[in-house]
Amino acid sequence: MAVDTTRVEGVGDPLPERDILEGFDRLIAADRLFGAELNPSIIKKSGKGAPFLVRRHPSHHRMLALWRDLFANRIPPQGLLDALAPEVLGFSHGDGLLLFGKDRVLYDCRIVRGNETVGHLTLCFYREREPVFRFLPFPRRPGRRIVFIEGISLSAQSTGYASSLFRHYERFFHGLGFHRFRVKASLSVGKYYWAKEGFDCEDRVQFREMREKLQDLVRRFDLPVEEQEIRRLTHAGDVAAFRRDLKIPVYRNPEGYYATARDGSHREEILFPLGKAFLLCSEPWDGYKVIYTNTPRRTGFVWSEAFLDHGVRPGHPESPKRLEALSEAIREEGMRESLIFLEPYLPAMESLHAVHDPAYLEAFREAVARGDRHFAAQDCAISGGSYKAALLAAGGVMAGIDAVLSGRSDNVFCAVRPPGHHAGRNSAMGFCFVNNVAAGAQYARSAHGVRRIYILDWDVHHGNGTQALFEEDPLTFFCSLHEHPSFCYPGTGRRLEKGKGSGLGATLNVPLAPHAGDRELLEAFEREVVPSIEAFRPELILLSAGFDAHRDDPIAELECTEDAYVHMTRRVLELADRHCEGRVVSVLEGGYRTESLVSSAIAHIKTLQGREGSPCSSARG
Amino acid sequence: MFVGPRMKRDLVTVTPGATLEEASRLLKAHRIHHLPVVEEGNRLAGIVTDTDLRNATLDGAIGGGDRGDSGRPVTVGEIMTRDLVTLSPGDTLDDAMLVLSRQRIGALPVVEGDRLVGIVTKADILSALLTTLDIAGIGARIEVVLRRNVKEVARLVAALADQDVEVRSLVLALHGADGYAVFLRVATIDVASVRDRLREKGFCVGELSDFYEAG
Repeated sequence: MAVDTTRVEGVGDPLPERDILEGFDRLIAADRLFGAELNPSIIKKSGKGAPFLVRRHPSHHRMLALWRDLFANRIPPQGLLDALAPEVLGFSHGDGLLLFGKDRVLYDCRIVRGNETVGHLTLCFYREREPVFRFLPFPRRPGRRIVFIEGISLSAQSTGYASSLFRHYERFFHGLGFHRFRVKASLSVGKYYWAKEGFDCEDRVQFREMREKLQDLVRRFDLPVEEQEIRRLTHAGDVAAFRRDLKIPVYRNPEGYYATARDGSHREEILFPLGKAFLLCSEPWDGYKVIYTNTPRRTGFVWSEAFLDHGVRPGHPESPKRLEALSEAIREEGMRESLIFLEPYLPAMESLHAVHDPAYLEAFREAVARGDRHFAAQDCAISGGSYKAALLAAGGVMAGIDAVLSGRSDNVFCAVRPPGHHAGRNSAMGFCFVNNVAAGAQYARSAHGVRRIYILDWDVHHGNGTQALFEEDPLTFFCSLHEHPSFCYPGTGRRLEKGKGSGLGATLNVPLAPHAGDRELLEAFEREVVPSIEAFRPELILLSAGFDAHRDDPIAELECTEDAYVHMTRRVLELADRHCEGRVVSVLEGGYRTESLVSSAIAHIKTLQGREGSPCSSARG
Repeated sequence: MFVGPRMKRDLVTVTPGATLEEASRLLKAHRIHHLPVVEEGNRLAGIVTDTDLRNATLDGAIGGGDRGDSGRPVTVGEIMTRDLVTLSPGDTLDDAMLVLSRQRIGALPVVEGDRLVGIVTKADILSALLTTLDIAGIGARIEVVLRRNVKEVARLVAALADQDVEVRSLVLALHGADGYAVFLRVATIDVASVRDRLREKGFCVGELSDFYEAG
């Protein structure tokens, strides 16, 4: 979606404030600019005359401040009105007004075809305010810029007008730097329509309830749908497109609302595909669509509070504080606006059985349920939330893979824990229980048909679990950069380990001597890793991104810096652009000093977004 | 510790009457370097190695490949080493290592009486060493230098027990005039904490950099 902002009509460099002020005056003189009630809920949709409680416009000073905040003065007032009212498919806007509220600007117009009014549209531009400290309501600071579709009605349906208009808007708002589109999907058709247009459910609790209701519906009709297919749905758009092959009857009432059961008013029976039928009958929901991530690439961020529920004994290096600090830093860096948050889901056990024996997972579950302090090894401390967190971590990678392969984001960083790359088919070790990356790779294969997968593991420790799972698989290339096994846990990952059987040659181990720094790491990376990616021509690249090779990390003796991670990330993206449309899913592994973990991960994520260092030539939308 | 459990019992052998070509084919097929030569009743008569075979052909003593002056094929019995050092299953691996090292040879036949029962090669000794030190297993190494006093060793072991750390191997070696060097292999990813806690208790834990530069 990364539209070249300079090409969006009417949007350019910031204009002098004088021009903006003149623009206000001209619109005031033309009766097209007013003030609006402070409280936008006072917007009156009925009654004669103006649909708003219109009053005199606020002071020029306040209007200018608002313009600067919302539009960065990159468009004059008249320019905004023009850009909002394009002529599309014979439709145009009439009586377009700009209304200034306390913290927002509204656009209101009639939709006209020929001489006939066929609808009405109200947009609302504002900026979220976020608390500076998470638990205090004040102070607050500016957050995401939002366009809210306050209301749209059209008497003529299925003309393609709304679709075309919103595509135009998306491009235009993207150019203006707005982060999100929001909409209230309350009308019956709207609930399906907006989801189809890519709007997702804003309230995640509501979305989960939606999934449960879908499950109920499936049960009621006894449809051949597996539970996991529903659990995998993480976006309203997925629901809209869900199982088009299955049709179920729904009942329409005279007002055009739908229900799944026939009753007094809902009488007209229509057959619709499952997802569409379900959405048409669903409760109203608030939808949003990410239109702009202020970065060249749209990077997804997999995160769940449940990852913090994997508790460990005091003094244990792999503590929940690692992720708490990272999530806090994401907020402090103002990166929440630029990341697409993705929710992990509990994977189907069958998809985990591709990498772990059922008995092993069951033993892990039982150990957690019994309240054991560790599982399999002293290193692997557990608490009550560990089993679920470990499953969600693997499900997080799967959600990331879904997002990248559906094009919802260009690449993804999965901020998961517990880590996974030491976990083998039947073994927990080195803080790892479920091999997240391996489970993700198998899932990409089974659910999305990806064939060639390259896994790059730059955690300071050898990814012995991942290697063991794929060493006989010629289509999964495993490459690990790590401190030499004679000096560092787990003592595997020697050069001579190159894969087995038909997988011979699809494993590459690059051990580094203790105290090696950026220079040694990057030399090895360029000399061995880059050519191996080129030669393998992957369809998807997965990163086991540990940040414990950092010089400040206490757990091992490599002495790298953030620069190394930035460089490797950028190169991996370039290679991914060349071979697999930029598809990279990065998964957090180690990194045990909070400060260096956070600074390295942030640098890595910013690079994934394409905004660290030199711009990536092939950034795409 | 004893040769018996470590030796290879599944043997590839030849008879003295076999041709060099046959012997050479066996070595290649089994990817080995030593062929015990046995007579009837598994009686050990000698050993022939890949080097013996190569020398026999290169020396020119044999014209036309493996044919002697008489024109008949040369047999293994003519070129094998008869003067053998052997072990018995009751000998120790120490014996084996000493002999292999001092005689600079690659393999030792193991006999009971004059009957061949097994063979011990350098590779067997290496793999025994690897297993003993658990080098192929999961773990990480720690080096500690102690005063040469067994009480210090006891103190180290107690410190490890306090940390509840899984020790995979522990080697104690003389170090300098009055010290011990301890090479430990522990199965934890958090080696750094183990090192730190040992240092807190006053142990001299080798920095990898010392080790690295020395090597």
